Amino acid sequence: MRDWLRSGIHCVLLAAALFCGQISYATAAGVLRVGVQLEPPNLDPTSGAAAAIDEIVYANIFEGLTRINEDGSVAPALAMRWSVSEDGMAYVFHLQRDVRFHDGAPFSAADVKFSLERAGAETSTNAQRAIFSSIVSVDVIDVHTVRIRLSEPLGALPTYLGWGDAVIVSPASAATNATNPIGTGPFVFDRWRQGASVRLSANAEYWGTPAKLDGIEFVFIPDPTAAFAALFAGDVDGFPNYPAPENLPLIERDERFNVLSGASEGEMILAINNDRPPFNDLRIRKALSHAIDKRAVIKGALYGYGEPIGSHFPPHHSAYVDLSNRYPFNPEKARRLIAEAGYPDGFEAQLTLPPPAYARRSGEIIAAQLSAVGVKVRIRNIEWAQWLEQIFANKAYDLTIVSHTEPLDIDIYARDDYYFQYRDEKFKNIIVELKSAVEPDARHKLLVRAQEKLAEDAVNVFLASSPKIGVWDNGVIGVWRHGPVQANDFTQTQLSGGATRSQASDRIGALPIFPILIVLAILALVSAAYFARASLTYLLKRFIVMGITLFAASLIIFTILEVAPGDPAIVMMGVNADEQSLEAVREEFGLDAPAPVRYLNWIIDFARGDFGQSFTYRTPVAELVSERLWVSLPLAFLAFILAAITGITAGAAAAIKEGGPIDAVIRAGSQAGIAAPNFWLSILFVLIFAVGLRWFSAGGFPGWENGFGPALKSLLLPAIALAIPQAAILAQLMRTSMFEIMEKDFVRTAQAKGLTRNAAIRRHGVRNAIIPILTILGLQFSFLIAGAVIVENVFYLPGVGRLVFQSIVQRDLIVVKAIVAMLVLTVVFMAFLIDLSYAIADPRLRRKTQS
Amino acid sequence: MRHTGPSKMRRIPAAAYLGLALVILIVATTLVSIIWTPYDLSVLNIDDRLMPPSPAHPLGTDPLGRDLLTMLMIGGQTSLIVALAAVAIGLGVGAPLGLLASAYGGVADEIVMRMSDIVFAFPALIFAILLAAVFGPGAYTAVIAIGIFNIPVFARLTRGAALPLWTAAFVLSARTAGKSRLQIATEHILPNIAPLLAMQATIQFSLAILAEAGLSYIGLGVQPPAPSWGRILAENQTLISVAPWLSIFPGLAIFVFVLSVNLASDGLRRRYNQPVERLTA
Repeated sequence: MRDWLRSGIHCVLLAAALFCGQISYATAAGVLRVGVQLEPPNLDPTSGAAAAIDEIVYANIFEGLTRINEDGSVAPALAMRWSVSEDGMAYVFHLQRDVRFHDGAPFSAADVKFSLERAGAETSTNAQRAIFSSIVSVDVIDVHTVRIRLSEPLGALPTYLGWGDAVIVSPASAATNATNPIGTGPFVFDRWRQGASVRLSANAEYWGTPAKLDGIEFVFIPDPTAAFAALFAGDVDGFPNYPAPENLPLIERDERFNVLSGASEGEMILAINNDRPPFNDLRIRKALSHAIDKRAVIKGALYGYGEPIGSHFPPHHSAYVDLSNRYPFNPEKARRLIAEAGYPDGFEAQLTLPPPAYARRSGEIIAAQLSAVGVKVRIRNIEWAQWLEQIFANKAYDLTIVSHTEPLDIDIYARDDYYFQYRDEKFKNIIVELKSAVEPDARHKLLVRAQEKLAEDAVNVFLASSPKIGVWDNGVIGVWRHGPVQANDFTQTQLSGGATRSQASDRIGALPIFPILIVLAILALVSAAYFARASLTYLLKRFIVMGITLFAASLIIFTILEVAPGDPAIVMMGVNADEQSLEAVREEFGLDAPAPVRYLNWIIDFARGDFGQSFTYRTPVAELVSERLWVSLPLAFLAFILAAITGITAGAAAAIKEGGPIDAVIRAGSQAGIAAPNFWLSILFVLIFAVGLRWFSAGGFPGWENGFGPALKSLLLPAIALAIPQAAILAQLMRTSMFEIMEKDFVRTAQAKGLTRNAAIRRHGVRNAIIPILTILGLQFSFLIAGAVIVENVFYLPGVGRLVFQSIVQRDLIVVKAIVAMLVLTVVFMAFLIDLSYAIADPRLRRKTQS
Repeated sequence: MRHTGPSKMRRIPAAAYLGLALVILIVATTLVSIIWTPYDLSVLNIDDRLMPPSPAHPLGTDPLGRDLLTMLMIGGQTSLIVALAAVAIGLGVGAPLGLLASAYGGVADEIVMRMSDIVFAFPALIFAILLAAVFGPGAYTAVIAIGIFNIPVFARLTRGAALPLWTAAFVLSARTAGKSRLQIATEHILPNIAPLLAMQATIQFSLAILAEAGLSYIGLGVQPPAPSWGRILAENQTLISVAPWLSIFPGLAIFVFVLSVNLASDGLRRRYNQPVERLTA
């Protein structure tokens, strides 16, 4: 209790400092603000398969022995040069001198040995462990030289060493890279505001060519509309991968922006379960290829930004062969093939679609095209978590659409347990040969053969190469057009024009907000009991009821999440993780304990204020949530104030001027406010005030540390959208309440004592009419917090609502449990306070309970 | 409980008639779409994509060349069915529970009220997200999620309205006539509170339409290719500057439908001078 109090006081002081002391507008030139679609689960590129990690840290924070240039070629990085032995079984790398990690530790051959052995170890969670497993040993020859011995020739080793999975880490910081990445690169990790952004700043001690930027801020904007709005509102300087191709014509017309359309490693495919009848019949697979008009898919789903392909290979690669017309669009022929295969009347198939827009959009087009040749397609939309479990892990599907973005990943077709279930000996032999081929010519020929073999067997319908479309402000120079690796290399990027940009000051540590809430709750309880003078038995009864409700609710939450599908371990580690890595994660997060034990642990820890560790962010949940509360609570509070003031004023005004034009307008307005969905209002607000008039930013949250004004401004539109329906309800209730009061004797008495009717109403009516409204206000606060789930998503505010929705998609059960439990706690506690307030307001109840 | 009599009836405002007319129009249009629509949604016409409103397509077309008016007509079916089913669940389960609680009091009452508290403790949207995570998104999930949230609304209303009636003269005379509590509840209490329940049902119906739209908007409602108002909005939000009609009309459809139901229901309420409990979900 004393600790709670102390931390509570500590918090109030901090908050005061926050609101009073830091209202300043810090500015600095040269911070590049980059919009990215997906937030990484953590920041350690060696720990999992998520491309979103590499897109932030690779080349910027972490470096490998080699690096991949924009054109896909291999260049020296931490290794100045290297040589390969005659038999291709050993490589010697000569390392850069005078390199230091960001924590000051010097870089040497021992770090290389540590990093590569760690990546290939049995317990490694590295997504590309298969590659490192062919390394027999890493030998330190001297401080600046290492030799890598292989179990088989591996021609692409220098390329692989340039991938994010092979970056060099320091033994001292390897364990904490997930949340505090320490590398050798030109940028130093600054802060990660979960759900919102990651900031890097320039490394003054960098060993190579220093960065031309003061820093980089990666802003997470998952929604395509919000991406568009953020670009137009100037919240970001650009997107390396712009998620809304449909807006590109408009952006291209706008002279403020540059559109860079380049090659990527992405192949969008209609994946086929080759094991399932009728798809195990080559004729059926060929028929699917003939039935689909790739150009219509590219036009309709990718808005023309894509190139048709005929195999699993990107067109910009030197070994590419154009097989896109191997099965020309021909519905007649498709129908014939299907009939030949024994289905003259066609057949039924299920098309399962993951969330990205390209998949959902092309899914509808492909379903229509397939139905034209007699394949009746049922579409099923699922989340990533379900996709990973049902399709990738369990192979329970007919057809699905997905984009494979890993570079040079044609070898996935040689994996027996891969979800295509292709299993072809001839193809596997090609890949085995390719693995050991070192000569460029031989590699080239094998790659061509592999492409042709896949096209011949029509393994999947190869739809299009998904292009990398970057959209940048004109002032940004030196960004990559092409995407040969899953990374955003900003080492040579600069900003022209010397624009002044806002820059956030130091990170405010997560405030222990839960102890404050608990202290407030207890204070409220005690004072309510005191003022109400309600009997102890009444209090105790309400308290027990609250306890039972909370217990039942906690059981419901736990049970519902327990039976939810999707293996959290797979989601955390990515689709390419192997079973060992998954086991390691399950053990780390205690996923393997029996359910009752986990329930009890959860409850006990929750009561102690320990909400566990987030699966995905790898930070304490309490810290995550309290950071989000600094957005959600002010948002809900602002909406609450707006709703209360406008609702009560409007309701009172309407009642006083009953029957007049003001009354009519307010009544019509409140009817409209109740009927308008808040997400639609939000969209309209963005269209009018952010995109059109540009009075407001289209979303995002600058953080309180950048000043009170900008933060408040960014909450205003969402708060209004949230407040309107509640204000409308309040106005109606207030109006009714006023009528009841105005009939009462004391208003008449006041009038009789000489006040005018209006003055009597103002002095006595309004105040009394508000009393019944207060209980409604209490309930509304709970609804406002919950209603923020949708609105926070439209405005991409990093609040609790967005966190809970993201966490459900990411199957971060611990966060979901904590937030839902917290919301439920709030609602139940509000109900309890209302019960007490009845006791205060209604003397009859008080007497009854005391008797 | 206000026992209503003819003397308390008031004039029905013109807006209520307008609301009723719009409700009938929207429902009729939706029913028509079962047998006839201006266009066939299964035929995609990529060349006609993103057409602004024109005589051929009064509300324009979407990125796949589909007619927006047709999509809204068929989407109305989803909204209607989901909202009706959800209110039916709430009324069908909630009203009997409320009656039981009022009839037997004591432990039965306590159980029903505590169960209500527990359901009320979950913000509706969070509950829907949790359910969708388990059963997968779809129309059924939406019906169940919204339906469950409606149960305590009707249970509490029924109990609250029924309790004072148990001391009314006509109930006492029924009891002296030897009728069981269950009989009295169904034969005497229920008919008396039926108008109140019906009016609350219209309010819950309009809230259910809003809730369904919200769930579809975040992708937890009916799944494609079946169109729904909320989902059309979500999918085309990115086109707001290229094709604003796709962001305006579906929202307008939700707005007008909910508004008309509310206006009509307010008219009824005024006629019977009934209080109505209104909470957003």
